[in-house]
Amino acid sequence: MKFTLDWLKQYVDVKMTVAELADRLTMAGLEVDAVENLSHELNKVHVAEILEVRSHPDADRLVLCDVAVGDEKKQIVCGAPNAKAGMLSPLALPGAVLPGGVKIKKGKIRGQVSEGMLCSARDLGISEDHLGIMELPQDLTSGEDIVQALNLKDILIDVDLTPNRPDCASVIGIGREVAGFCNSRLKQPVDSSELPRLTGQGVPFSVDVQSVKDCPRYAARLLTGVKVGPSPWWLQKCLLAIGLRPINNIVDITNFVMLETGQPLHAFDFKKLTGGKIVVRKAASGETITTLDGQERELDPDMLMICDAEKPVAVAGVMGGANSEVDSETTEILLESACFDPISIRRTSRRLKLNTDASFRFERGVDPQGAPLALERVVRLIVDGGAQVVADGIDACYDIKEPPVLHLRIQRTCDLLGMNFTGEELTAFLSGIEFDVKQLDDDTLSVTPPSFRVDIEREIDLVEEIARLKGYNEIPTSLPVVPMSFPEHDEARDLRKQLADIMTSLGFYEAINYSFVAEKHFDMLDLPENDPLRQTVRLMNPLAEDQNVMRTTLLPGLLENVRRNVNHQVADIKLFEIGKVFHPHAGNLLPDEKFRLTAVLSGRRAPGSPVIHFKNQETDFLDAKGVAETILRELQLIQIELLPTDSIISYGAAGNIVELRTNDHVIGHCGQISAKILKTFGIRQDVFYLDLDFDALSSLEQGRKAFSPLPRYPAVKWDLAVLVADTVGGGEILKSIKEADEPLFEHAEIFDLFHGDHIESGRKSVAISITYRSKECTLDDETVGKAHQKMTDMVLSRFKGQLREV
Amino acid sequence: MENELLGLKDEAAKSLAAVESKSGLEDFRVKYLGRKGLFSAVMRKLGQVPKEDRPRVGKLANQIKQDLEGDFTAQLAALDSQTPATQLTGIDLTLPGRHVPFGKLHPVTQIMDEVCGIFEGLGFAVAEGPDVETDFYNFEALNIPPHHPARDMHDTFYVDDKVLLRTHTSPMQARIMENERPPLRVIAPGKVYRCDSDITHTPMFHQVEGFLVDRKISFADLKGVLSVFVAKMFDSKTAIRFRPSFFPFTEPSAEIDISCVICHGKGCRVCKHTGWLEILGAGLIDPEVFNRVGYDPEEYSGFAFGLGIERIAMLKYGINDIRLYYENDLRFLTQF
Repeated sequence: MKFTLDWLKQYVDVKMTVAELADRLTMAGLEVDAVENLSHELNKVHVAEILEVRSHPDADRLVLCDVAVGDEKKQIVCGAPNAKAGMLSPLALPGAVLPGGVKIKKGKIRGQVSEGMLCSARDLGISEDHLGIMELPQDLTSGEDIVQALNLKDILIDVDLTPNRPDCASVIGIGREVAGFCNSRLKQPVDSSELPRLTGQGVPFSVDVQSVKDCPRYAARLLTGVKVGPSPWWLQKCLLAIGLRPINNIVDITNFVMLETGQPLHAFDFKKLTGGKIVVRKAASGETITTLDGQERELDPDMLMICDAEKPVAVAGVMGGANSEVDSETTEILLESACFDPISIRRTSRRLKLNTDASFRFERGVDPQGAPLALERVVRLIVDGGAQVVADGIDACYDIKEPPVLHLRIQRTCDLLGMNFTGEELTAFLSGIEFDVKQLDDDTLSVTPPSFRVDIEREIDLVEEIARLKGYNEIPTSLPVVPMSFPEHDEARDLRKQLADIMTSLGFYEAINYSFVAEKHFDMLDLPENDPLRQTVRLMNPLAEDQNVMRTTLLPGLLENVRRNVNHQVADIKLFEIGKVFHPHAGNLLPDEKFRLTAVLSGRRAPGSPVIHFKNQETDFLDAKGVAETILRELQLIQIELLPTDSIISYGAAGNIVELRTNDHVIGHCGQISAKILKTFGIRQDVFYLDLDFDALSSLEQGRKAFSPLPRYPAVKWDLAVLVADTVGGGEILKSIKEADEPLFEHAEIFDLFHGDHIESGRKSVAISITYRSKECTLDDETVGKAHQKMTDMVLSRFKGQLREV
Repeated sequence: MENELLGLKDEAAKSLAAVESKSGLEDFRVKYLGRKGLFSAVMRKLGQVPKEDRPRVGKLANQIKQDLEGDFTAQLAALDSQTPATQLTGIDLTLPGRHVPFGKLHPVTQIMDEVCGIFEGLGFAVAEGPDVETDFYNFEALNIPPHHPARDMHDTFYVDDKVLLRTHTSPMQARIMENERPPLRVIAPGKVYRCDSDITHTPMFHQVEGFLVDRKISFADLKGVLSVFVAKMFDSKTAIRFRPSFFPFTEPSAEIDISCVICHGKGCRVCKHTGWLEILGAGLIDPEVFNRVGYDPEEYSGFAFGLGIERIAMLKYGINDIRLYYENDLRFLTQF
């Protein structure tokens, strides 16, 4: 809600600075969003009279204007199409600085002297109008300073209204609040005691409200002898200041009074209303109307229309129709001041995608008693401009909601706010904002809010008013006294945190991507047509096509992150994300939401470290696998195995993927992204990944932390080097050693693996160091030798190996 | 024997004084103090000394050896002190060290954890809910019927007529109250969605909802709890103010401002020259919300609040473009 300080001052004495006013409004719940000086410190801009317009000798599009500024005569070069003799226009003299930063200097334009610049409304920051120079009202005096002449020295205030305060969608409503905290009186432009009684006797028009529920009140008056023309400057200024374009005196007055009172009004050209009749009814199916903005709109039977005897002439409470528009030929107007059902208006405005100042107010609720007052105000302003009003009018009142009578309990108010009040204090607060208060008994007040406070319906609404009027900052601060209890932990959430800690310890940065992704990602990942990941939750109204479905995998988002980082010359990347994916669940309203952990690795193994220490250490498959192993080790998930897989993962590099398996379930995989996929994502370096189903992981039994005594006797390490076929996995040999059931066995690791050099092709050498230890004694060579021989024999026979001399 | 020892002592002292380099010093050590050195050779003759003289000569020999070793160590230290540190070991000590890669949580997660930690310290439980939510929980259960103008405050992504992406974490109020009885102290962190995107809005962002329900909970209690939060999240010098606002599911409703962390209340671009920054929405839970979950509003009262994580992170770290959060640019992520 925008208004200017001068405008506000018409209704209330503002006994404070603008900064204080803004602060008080904000603290009263009317948050001031902006305060703007309208005159832009305009200086050296004066009213000038154009005496003569001559053609420029050397330019077709320019003219020379001889102007008078007071007693001085000047020549100005001007390019505006509307310059004409006798016109008053603002002239910026040399030295003036316009709001856009333009400095005015005396100079020559195409060889002709120009002693200033004739300005458009936009040049002066008054409006966006830049079609020509500004035509000033004829009652101004040449030479006058423009700021004074146009009363520009004013301040624009913009209040961010909450939906519960439609009464403040009006300058008078704001004024009422200001009067409250300034202890001054509100000056209404029309006193309610002066309102004429509208009986409908002998008026040459009729009103037939057929849909009473949607239109509880419809007041109308007829004016004749109307002359349509431009509005006086004071009116134009009010509208321009808040960003409305002046149209003509009639439309401008209805807009002005709506802004002043909060009651939307509409003026019909009476001669265009067939049958001199207003019918308020629902649209018939198939009906259409062209609204004032020139758009033809299809109507549906839920929409409330204002019609004449034949056709719709306005969308009730939203926008007038072009077929009954007031134009320069109009001489008789029918003024409407009505009250419509908020839900009906909102539905219509949504359906038509048409939000107007009128619908904004009706949706939130206008004062049901406000229609006659606003109507009278418009009538008087138009009559002031030289029209006549038909003595009587119609005020069709049906089901007007009376303000409720509420009971406010004093003790309840004190309990809820946490401070003490007396009945007298509460009464004083509420009476101060025009609430009617009576004390019923020691603890109860009977309160009737004024009709314009449509938001006050319950006791709690009154409690809020008390808090607001007392000032939230006057309410004390305390800490609640509550029974002690231990908040139970969400184990899955704790596990996610633990996982995140492991990932950051391993050098990964956490990424957060949008939950919605592009559907084309599934094609980019080369997913088969029937892949379950293609079953998505789709948004009806995405912001962009590349955010149209909820993600079913975190991988594409991370690959996009890799591309972005590489493009910004950060090529060493370790990123992970723990986030939800969404899968539609047939028969359920809501989809399944499952957490996944996905990580990507690319570039050098040690990002951020000096190259000299980590030359040629590029991330590879085993880095990704190491991450998976670390997670399993730290979470003590011994039941999961990492196994090479034959199943095809469309985006994985063939032969470079392992699965994380438990019994028959695959809970994730890790490996390398295929070159083809990387190409579609625009990445030109190897990328490895890890992708885990977090929910499956968290459902597994984790090992418990348990102490095992430290060994008392030393261990011995014996080496074993075997030649085996290339197809034998080193990990398989290790596994067989670990599972060999040798009581002295403690640990085994591969310390060398090589081909070539005296080794026949198709075979490789695997060198393994095995650690033996006894819990009972220090081992001697003989005992170890026996164990090691057994182990060696097992390996040789199982993997068809030959012993190699070490 | 004694003379031999004393002679060796003098010779060694002269020899040591003449040493100028570490290699010379090592030669000295080998020649005199080594296992096969001159001193050891003399000592081996100790057995030939008459028995009665042995303790005296032995003592002298030990004394001389100790002195020589002391002199040797002193000379070594003296030589070291003349050598530049970088050349002592052959390692270039000025090179940057070797770094084990080190990752960090996203700044949003860091702030989220901090916020949750403060409320968990006050005994609040943490609960999470679905991102894809029903219209019922997101709006109707929170006293926002269809066609309520408050829906304009939420630019909503819809999946269908009844299903949407939650626009706030407040649906968790209804979900939890529906299943549990007071007393309740809960915070609900999570992602929320609004169809809006510019320099100050992303279509997805993070909120933490919190609420407390019990007997006799007042607006003063709300002020108290949120004041503690602000003091811990920022610092105890941060000023805080409460001003009236409107949310359909709380009444009285409040917005909470803190003194601008950038200009400390003097007025700057970030606080739009007001000196204040809005960081929280809050209020007493509306009786209508209680009615819908079957709590008697005459018996129970409570408060609820909600805050945006990105906004707090922006204020704490001075981030000026909210879109940076979701680009996952490592140049951004490594800063926090």
